[in-house]
Amino acid sequence: MATVEDHPDPNLLGALVEKSLAQGEQLRVLEHLSRCASCREIVSLTAAQPGIAGAVSLAPARAGWLSWPVLRWGAAVACVVVVGVAVTIRQEHESRQIDATIAEQKAELEKQISPPSGPPAKAAEQTIAANPTVTPQTARAMKPGKNNNAAATSPVEMSDAGVGSRLAEVPGRAKAAESQDALSVKAAGNIAQVETSTAAVVPLVSTNLPPRWTLSSDGTLQRSRDSGRSWQTIQVADNTIFRALAANRLEIWVGGAAGALFHSSDAGQLWTQVRPVANGEALADDIIGVEFADTLHGKVTTSVQEIWITADAGQTWQKQ
Amino acid sequence: MPKQDFQPEPAVAAGLDALMAELYQKSKGEELGLTRQQFDSVLGEIARKYLTADAAHHDLRGLYMSLRAEELVLARACAAGHERAWEIFLTRYREKLYDIAGYITKESSTARELADSIYAELYGTTTRDGQRTSKLASYTGRGSLEGWLRTVMVQEHVNRYRRQRRLVSLDEETEEGSQFAIPATEAAIAVDPRVEAATDEVLVALPPEDRYVLASYFLDERTLAEIARTLGVHESTISRKVDKLAKSLRKQILAALGRRGMSRRQAQEALEIDVRDLRVNIRSRLAQEKGGGAFSKKKAEAPADGS
Repeated sequence: MATVEDHPDPNLLGALVEKSLAQGEQLRVLEHLSRCASCREIVSLTAAQPGIAGAVSLAPARAGWLSWPVLRWGAAVACVVVVGVAVTIRQEHESRQIDATIAEQKAELEKQISPPSGPPAKAAEQTIAANPTVTPQTARAMKPGKNNNAAATSPVEMSDAGVGSRLAEVPGRAKAAESQDALSVKAAGNIAQVETSTAAVVPLVSTNLPPRWTLSSDGTLQRSRDSGRSWQTIQVADNTIFRALAANRLEIWVGGAAGALFHSSDAGQLWTQVRPVANGEALADDIIGVEFADTLHGKVTTSVQEIWITADAGQTWQKQ
Repeated sequence: MPKQDFQPEPAVAAGLDALMAELYQKSKGEELGLTRQQFDSVLGEIARKYLTADAAHHDLRGLYMSLRAEELVLARACAAGHERAWEIFLTRYREKLYDIAGYITKESSTARELADSIYAELYGTTTRDGQRTSKLASYTGRGSLEGWLRTVMVQEHVNRYRRQRRLVSLDEETEEGSQFAIPATEAAIAVDPRVEAATDEVLVALPPEDRYVLASYFLDERTLAEIARTLGVHESTISRKVDKLAKSLRKQILAALGRRGMSRRQAQEALEIDVRDLRVNIRSRLAQEKGGGAFSKKKAEAPADGS
């Protein structure tokens, strides 16, 4: 019978479930577990909780009829074809969405910076041509009808002193602020911010549509395209620790330290920094909870237990 | 795990200095008020806990490199009462504590009670020699801090359940009808001592993982999915393993009985031919803890909190 001294401590049991023990140590713990019902109980209950890293089903079930080589290869080819078709259809769908978003942003930008009598279609290109800091990638990103996958991973800098000087701020009224041409774009590395009084729109990270999202324990946003088997870190903003995530189809919201709140309406292709302002007061506390029931209605909880509510996808906010 | 003294040689310790400095830098210990000296002391304590005195240099390096240095420093800084560390800890784990408790207990008031209790232990309300002791000081960075919290909470929940079971009233037992329940003892079957010896011989030779799977499946009556989750594999893998083990064990036990002088027919009769009957033997041979049934099945009170 195992003695109390023989029991592995919670560090080892937790690490076993996370599969982070060395092989020899794992065998020693399993050796103990094979003799100790108490520890088996603890390990089983720990592993049963959602969100355990490492406790992921990986191996496919073996089907008898697939043992016939021809059928096995046939199934593999069929899978490749189906996946290829699905990816192609999805990319076309994403491309259309991104084009629509870019066209909308461009139209908005043109409306703000071009003279009323000038041809709107050339306004953005004139801005690009006049600004030597705009990279070719940025230009592609701003050009409608092109997939901007390469743009966001490259350094982006967009600025216009004339526009920036007309910065206007109307707390809690983003749409009104936008109509007053409140636009200032800054970028560093792969981060860019467009500041308005309450909301900003900028391409940050460009990737394919991810099926799953999570936040790591060190506060970075992660995405999985293979049903949770592997996760990639998504760089949204430097030095920002995210603690809250809301994902609903294409709509992704992440919140974190010092009121950092980012939104993507196209499953992570483009990121928007949202700066909630209510009654002249900006949200500056750590965000610990983000909930969005639909695309418009959402709730943000802060570390000081304040609740900020929006009913228009983050354009305006109310504090409770 | 057995605790043994660990005394790294001076040359080895010097060789590890660069690694420890790198870990300290990654851990951001300076920001949380943990000096390099204190950090080295924590690493030494962890090495003594998990390695034997004669551990090789590469074992020590492997151990240090596997540690979650940033989370380790955070936990130790919290245990030392560092204010900023607590802010970070609460931001990261406060909600998770309640979520985990809710998942374990499946009942909101019990979940809150469990989470509050654990939080008090993490904060360190108990005093020993006039000093506050925090449970976070026992975190060693072997897995994630969140994983450790999950395990600690499960352990506390199981211990609470067992304590409460001892205090259950006769009325409650009457309502459950448990006083009338037929004892779940297995039929006393006269087993040839050679069968027991052969079964023991075969089971001892199995890899630990196989014995763990057998014990979980036959003793604890865990589902294939539950066992698969603990090992991080698909349940079909466990299903195949159980079937394969049952057949393999039977063959090996028959062979072992043959070596003990039984004819094949006698050996098969001793095992009563049907593979399923082998489970009786496996159960009896695997069971090391009398009455150590599964907590979730409410079978019995297991001995104390162990870990």
